[in-house]
Amino acid sequence: MSSQKFSVYLTQLAEALRDEKGPELAYLLKPTSEHGKALVKDFRGNISRHSLSYYEGSLESPWDEIAIQYVLVVNSCARKRAVEAFKEECTLVSLFLRFFANNTGWTLPALFSILRDLRDLAFDVTASHGQEGTANMEEAARIISKAFSHCVIDRQSPIQESRRWGVYYVVGLILKCYFKVKRISLSKNILRAIDANPDIPPLSQYPRSHQVTYRYYIGMLSFLNEDFAKAEQELTLAFYNCHIDAHSNQERILTYLIPLRMFRGHLPSRELLQRFPVLEDLYTPFITAIRTGDIRSYDATLDRFERRLVDLNLWLTLDRARELCIRGLFRRVWIAAEKSTRVPVSMFHAALSIAIEDVPEEEAECLVANMIYKGFMRGYISHEKQMVVLAKTEPFPRLADRPAPFALLQ
Amino acid sequence: MSSSASTSQPVQSTSAAVEHTKDDDVPHLGVLEEDDEFEEFAVADWDDSQTDLAHLGGTAPGAAKSGGDKLWEDNWDDDDIEDDFSVQLRSELAKKKGNGGGPESMQH
Repeated sequence: MSSQKFSVYLTQLAEALRDEKGPELAYLLKPTSEHGKALVKDFRGNISRHSLSYYEGSLESPWDEIAIQYVLVVNSCARKRAVEAFKEECTLVSLFLRFFANNTGWTLPALFSILRDLRDLAFDVTASHGQEGTANMEEAARIISKAFSHCVIDRQSPIQESRRWGVYYVVGLILKCYFKVKRISLSKNILRAIDANPDIPPLSQYPRSHQVTYRYYIGMLSFLNEDFAKAEQELTLAFYNCHIDAHSNQERILTYLIPLRMFRGHLPSRELLQRFPVLEDLYTPFITAIRTGDIRSYDATLDRFERRLVDLNLWLTLDRARELCIRGLFRRVWIAAEKSTRVPVSMFHAALSIAIEDVPEEEAECLVANMIYKGFMRGYISHEKQMVVLAKTEPFPRLADRPAPFALLQ
Repeated sequence: MSSSASTSQPVQSTSAAVEHTKDDDVPHLGVLEEDDEFEEFAVADWDDSQTDLAHLGGTAPGAAKSGGDKLWEDNWDDDDIEDDFSVQLRSELAKKKGNGGGPESMQH
């Protein structure tokens, strides 16, 4: 058996390899492209590893096998056999890696493309097969990790053409796989491998798309591990380096960056929120409550959004940010007391009772003590006289001036 | 319509995205409710002018308005909020003063 179209395809592959055309190679290996579908059609249903073995040796190894493998992938995709398509693509990637390991960075566009396809095909299985899909996603991550190793160990290529320029993109894909199946603890090994390789060029020298994706996932990992200072730092850099037209990526970054910046006393401006109406809806009630010390409204918002916030892993963070709101309330007590340096505990108690509900006076005293301990208020409590003695200057420092704003969150 | 910064606001798409799902009175969080997925970028690289770095006027990311970044407010404490709460708070304070002031007199 033979196919006219497949012979053309083989020629195209050979040319792309000879001229070292990475993007062209990437295009030729895409399972969803038109030429792939036309190929499958041209074989008139007669597609099996056995029947295609006729073409072994038609290109320099491993490209004859890759070409055959490509037809098998496209065929499975066309027949909507998700599990099979994923397995075939796994084989294709493994074959490609044999070639990749002996070539320079010109091959990176093709590598990125087939790894992305691998991950997408694993995703299709996850969508249709649940638990079994999770295993496939981990398998995808495992194969992509091999590609990572082949990128890192490139010691021969001149730096401009090094496979090392693939490191951060590939790591981004691996992290994406782990996040998808909620196995983020598996990320540790790959991140350790980056730290252990000082030969990898600095992140800032990579294309911005690689930088931003990597920083987003590092920021998210830090956030989930409650390393809030690092999370804030990485997500800030991710946001500011993100392309402004990648709106949903910016939105996703800000979803976590906004509450983190709140702890630092940096509230998003109207200008920023207006660009992201979904976030404006979510965060405006919290921000207004913090500005006015309106605890009742803060609690009501926390309740109202509870389910969504839990889904996004944000509930605990916003529950902790309630302290910012209490600070606002206590500051208003001080304003109402005409900024006196001596405010009776009973006034804070009265304010809490108006704002929420009748609380025991001891609780008010305890809250004030906590505010002082955490640096939201400066002063001390005379327990005997039930008097809060406030500092003469800045008894309520600007939130932005508080040192180590994330230190006492745990 | 103001001719100032509002030109950069996509007003049309804004109103569409704000629409709420009324079933449980919780605003729809759009893409955030779908899977935890950071999207592929359409292009590999770009320069500063296509990012929010353009807002910073040369300062490093991480500052707020007083540090040159207008996207974040850091001076927002308000001494002049007037609402029911301030009225109640002041009357509570006046009551305590009327009672003779001083913490001792507050014991019931």
